[in-house]
Parts: sequence; C-alpha cells; structure tokens
Amino acid sequence: MKNRSTSGSAFLAWTIGFLFCLGLSNIYAQNDEKYRVRLRADYVKIMEGDAYLNIKATAKIEDETLPVPNIKIAVYNEVEGEEIILGNTKTNMKGESRFVLNKPIELKADSTLTYTLGISFKGNDSFKKASKSTSFKDAQIVADLITKDSINYITATLRETATDSALVGESLDVQVQRLFKPLRIGEEFNFTDENGTILVPVEEGIPGVDGNLILEVVLNDSDDYGTVITIINAPVGTPIVNEITFDQRKMWSTRNKTPIFLLVFINLIIAVIYGLFIYLISNLFRISKN
Amino acid sequence: MTKYESLINDLAPRKFGRRGTIWTLILVIFIILGLIAYIDQVNKGQVVTNMRDYALWGIYISNFVFFVATSFVGSATVAVLRLTNNSWRTPIVRIAEIISLASIVMAGFTIMIDMGRPDRLLYLFIYARLQSPITWDVIIIPISIVLSFLLLYFPLLPDLAILKKHHLKTKPTFSKWYGKLSLNWTGSKVQKAIQSKSIKIIAIMVIPVGILLQTIDAWLFSTTYRIGWDSTNMGAYFTSGAFVAGLGALITVVYIIRKVRRLEHYITDYHFDKLAQYLLLTILVYTYFNINEYLIPLFNASVEEEIHLNELRFGEYAALFWFSQIVGLLIPILILLFKKGRKPLPVFIVGIMVVIGSWWKRYIIVTPTLLHPFLPIEGVPESWHHYFPSMHEWLITGATLAMALLIITLFVRFLPVIPIQRIAEEKGLLKTDKKAES
Repeated sequence: MKNRSTSGSAFLAWTIGFLFCLGLSNIYAQNDEKYRVRLRADYVKIMEGDAYLNIKATAKIEDETLPVPNIKIAVYNEVEGEEIILGNTKTNMKGESRFVLNKPIELKADSTLTYTLGISFKGNDSFKKASKSTSFKDAQIVADLITKDSINYITATLRETATDSALVGESLDVQVQRLFKPLRIGEEFNFTDENGTILVPVEEGIPGVDGNLILEVVLNDSDDYGTVITIINAPVGTPIVNEITFDQRKMWSTRNKTPIFLLVFINLIIAVIYGLFIYLISNLFRISKN
Repeated sequence: MTKYESLINDLAPRKFGRRGTIWTLILVIFIILGLIAYIDQVNKGQVVTNMRDYALWGIYISNFVFFVATSFVGSATVAVLRLTNNSWRTPIVRIAEIISLASIVMAGFTIMIDMGRPDRLLYLFIYARLQSPITWDVIIIPISIVLSFLLLYFPLLPDLAILKKHHLKTKPTFSKWYGKLSLNWTGSKVQKAIQSKSIKIIAIMVIPVGILLQTIDAWLFSTTYRIGWDSTNMGAYFTSGAFVAGLGALITVVYIIRKVRRLEHYITDYHFDKLAQYLLLTILVYTYFNINEYLIPLFNASVEEEIHLNELRFGEYAALFWFSQIVGLLIPILILLFKKGRKPLPVFIVGIMVVIGSWWKRYIIVTPTLLHPFLPIEGVPESWHHYFPSMHEWLITGATLAMALLIITLFVRFLPVIPIQRIAEEKGLLKTDKKAES
C-alpha cells in the first residue's frame, strides 16, 4: 500500500515536471514568426565607368527599421518573362550590397528597349523570401567645360542611347565631388532644354587639389533611366595650399625634425658653456700645479 | 695676536654650539621624514599625492620654481654688484654663492621628485626633444649647478689655504682637508692671475646663464596655452621675481649668520641698508610686472581669464594671492622706503616676509591655472577640481627645503662665510702683517 502511494506520488511529480518543462520549452523556443525583408534596387551608371545595382535590404523589427546583414541575394535580368541569372551577392553589415554590371555581363532589353533587373532573396529561418525589380532605359550624359567671357561653364547633354534623342525637361544636378557630401553648384534645378542640354556656371574660388575640380553631372534617381553620372576634371578651382607640416622641421615636430636653427643655437650654447667649463676646470689643475 | 690673526679667528668656521646642533638635528629629522614619504611615493606611485588629471603640477613644481628663483641670488649679488663696482658686496657674496648652489642643487632634486618614473630620468637626455622648454630646463640646470659650484669654489681657494695654515696645529685632519681643497694655493702671482681671470669669466657667465635659467623656467609656463601662463610677460616677470626671492633669502640668511657668528663688525648696518635698497628696487620692478600680469587683463580679459582672475582675487586662492601681494610686496615696500626700516632687524623681517610671499606666489602661479583649462575634462570627481597638497607632498617638500638649509648650514660650518683673504686685502692687513713678519 505504501509502495503504491510512493509510485503514485512519483508519477504525479514526473507529470507535473514534464508539463512544466513543456511550458518552459514553449517560453524559450525560437520565435516562429519570420520578418518581412524589404529590398531596394537602384540602378546607377557612371559614364565611361561602372554600372551597378545598389541593393539595400531592411526589415521592420519591433517597430524599428533595421538593416538585414549577411543575406544572399540573387540578381537576374528579366526579358520577356524569362529570368536570366546574372549572379549572387551578399549584404554587408549595413544591409547593403553593390552588384557591378560590367562585362562579361551583358544585359538584354525587351522590345521597348527597357532593361529590367530583378533581385530576390530566398528567405531563411528569420526572414521571409522577398524580391524586387527595377526597370530603366539606357541614357547618357555628355558634359564639357567651356569658357565664355572669362566665366567657366559646365555644359551637359542628356540623351537616350537607344533612340539617340535628347531628353527634355529632366533635372540634372551639377556638383563638385567632396569626401562626405558633394558640393552643389548652379541653380537648385537645372532642367534640360529642347536639345537636352544644361549650362551651369562654375563659380570662382572653389578649392581643389592642385586647382582641379572633379565635377559631376547627375541625373538623379530617374524613374525611367535610373541614376546616370558623368564625371569631368576641371582645372578651374583654387589650388588647396597644403599646410601639413608633418615632415617639416618645426617647433611642434617630433624630436628627429628639430629646426636646424634650434639645433645649431642650442648646441652652440652648450658647446660654448661646456668649453668654458673645461677651461675653468683646467685652470683649477693649473692652480694646483703652480 | 695681530689684526690679521684676529680676523682669521673671527671668520674661520667654528664648531656648532648647542643651538646649531639642535638646528641640524631638526633638519635631519625633516629630511628623514621626507625620505620615508618619497620612498612610499616611489613604491605606490604618485597616487599618494593629490595631483590628478587637472592639477598635474602641484607643490613640487611650485617649490622647484621657488628654488630656481632663489638660486638667482648668485647672479644678482656676485655678478651684478661686481659689474656695477659695488664694493660693499664683499661680506655677503660668499653667503649668496652658498645659497645659490644649495638652491639650484635642490631645484634639480625637486624636479626628479615630481617625476612619476624617476628611473627613467636618463630618458630626458637620451630622448631629448630640443623644441621643448623642458629639455632646455634639463640642459640649463646642470649648467647652473656646475657654474654655481665654480662661482663658490674659485674665490674660496685663498681662504682654504688660510684655514689649512690656521688649523695646522689645532685640527690637523681639518687642515689636511683644507689643504687638499685649496689645491696647493700659495698666493703666487701665477695662481692669482689664473684665479682672477677665472672669476672674471664666471662672473660674466653667471648673468646670461642666470637669466637663461629664469627665462626657461618662465617659458615652461608661457609656451603652454593656458590662462595665466600664456603671456609674453613671463620671462621678465620671472627674472624680476627671482631677484626678489633671491635677495629675500640672502638677507634672511645673512642676518641669522651675523647673529649666530657675531659678525656685526663685518656685516654692518650699512650692508643691510644697501641690501634693503637693492631689495626695494627689485620689489618695485616686480610689483610693476605684477600690475601688468594681474591688473591690465581686467580691462580686456576673455571669459576664461576673468574666471581665473576672479578665482585669484575673490575665490579659493584669494587669501594666498593677497598674502603674496600685500605681505610679499606692498608691506616690504612701505617698510624699506624709510631709513629706520632698513635697519638689520626690520630688513630681516622683510626678508622673511618676502621669502614666504615668494614661495606662495609660485604656488598660485602653478596651481589655479591648472584647475581652469580651456577644455574641461568630462565626468571627473569633484575633488579633482581642487588641489591642496597631500601629507606626502608636504613632507617631501619640507624635506627639500630642509635639505637646502642643511647644505647652507654645513657650508657655514666648514667654510668661511665671509671671504677672509679679500677682507684682509681691503683692510690692508696683509701688507701690515707681511711687514711685521719681515
């Protein structure tokens, strides 16, 4: 009787323990909810340079938009319903990736001469699958530096490549390349005229290394053409005077770059004074011997 | 006993009496206490001091600046009075030379005490950066020590020879040592010529080296972009302050030695009157620089400078500031302007006031500036915004001052504090005696 009651208690305890553990496992189990990844793809073309897709992956997690790092994204070219895989890329810690579209990749356009590029993410344990596509036509900007009445201008013409037609009424940005943020010049909006051309004066006194300004003419994030950038070097800036004295012999330099005058002056003083000391001490010996 | 023998008897060093022994013992006790504190500081690091990220220079550096200033007394009396043909200097120059040597030696020690890693002292020479005023200081202090020693030693040679002869029968061991130190001085024409030429060179060297020393000391501060230090006034300001501190110390020591050794016949009221006039002149010049330093900025002070000046005039350091200005400068001027104030006792009191005022003056030059940087440090404990020396710092500083006094005391014990040969020559006793001998 006693044995039966002991085994019954043990069973009850085991059952409670099992259920409790089940409850715990439910508490600590990985959350099954997968987050939705938002993909963004921006086409950028630099004239006589690279063309690439700027890819960004984000997700809204607990009401906060966060980058999604280290996910594999496939890039493909959509042509007439067919998806031609161009390659794969992986997002960095900022959830960004740049997929370069240079040779040997050759993009194919559809019958309307529009290119469509798609990106897709297969999904994983944390994020749902996602995809995004972007379409654009090829455009080009031809820019030049001209001088009229001693004033320097940037002239730029925007044309659609396939039809070789001027693009009218598009706004082009003209800016000087800078480390953190480009320096905009000209009007806020520079719309192309009937020839697809803009003319923007370059102010005097803009500083540049050796007087060279790296100017950019940008068709920025156009719905039809993506971003097109052309870069020209314009030697019309004010040379930046390099004031770094790191390698010079200055009073604030390191010990191996002591100014010559100081080396000479101090060592001369030391030599003269210690020379006199030697003479004076030798006089003590002379006194001793006399 | 001839007058010459009487002179030697008066001026030859004497064994300490009871008071002298007690005085020396007190100094030794102070030094031992300081030494124990210093060993503890080396073991535990400078955390035992109250110096922190704000007050990174404290009492050690202000004490160092005081010693450097006091060492200027050699230049101020020996060289300046010599070049200006002030013959009254004779009885006081030896004391000035002794103070000068003791002070500059202790200045050297004090700067080592301030080092967090004294074992790296040699690095100051090996890795010297010649653009730094600290390196200039490292160069000029050994030069000053050697020069102060030579300044003391060359004129001593004839006196050491006199003492050798004087102690030949009574104290043969002393006589032997004096003989060795006198470098076989016989007073021959050749020896006199060499000695005279050497002293002339030293006297000329002492002035530029002394000014260099004071100026470099000032540049340690003025080359630093800090309120209260960043001033072109500093070089001249420090040099004039050194005249005051040095002469104050000289007057004090001269008075005590005169009293203890009963040298009233040799160091007379006339000498005190002259010293007092000299001190008055230097205090007036120094007061002028103080006006430049503290009054003029009130008219065009920046916010930071105003904070600093207010701190000095009305704030935490007001008591010390006004003490150094009133007790250290203004009252001495008022006393010394009158003939009665230039008698030995008032001059002695003024000397003490000036020395104490000078010491605290260096403290308020060094510390308050450090507590008001242009860029305050974020999140430091409140205590770091204030500085008052710790017990370790007081003991060590007290020991350095005691050591300087002990050096002076020992020199006074074993060397003639008034040049015997020179006094004898000035009084014409040597000729008389030689005639008497012949």
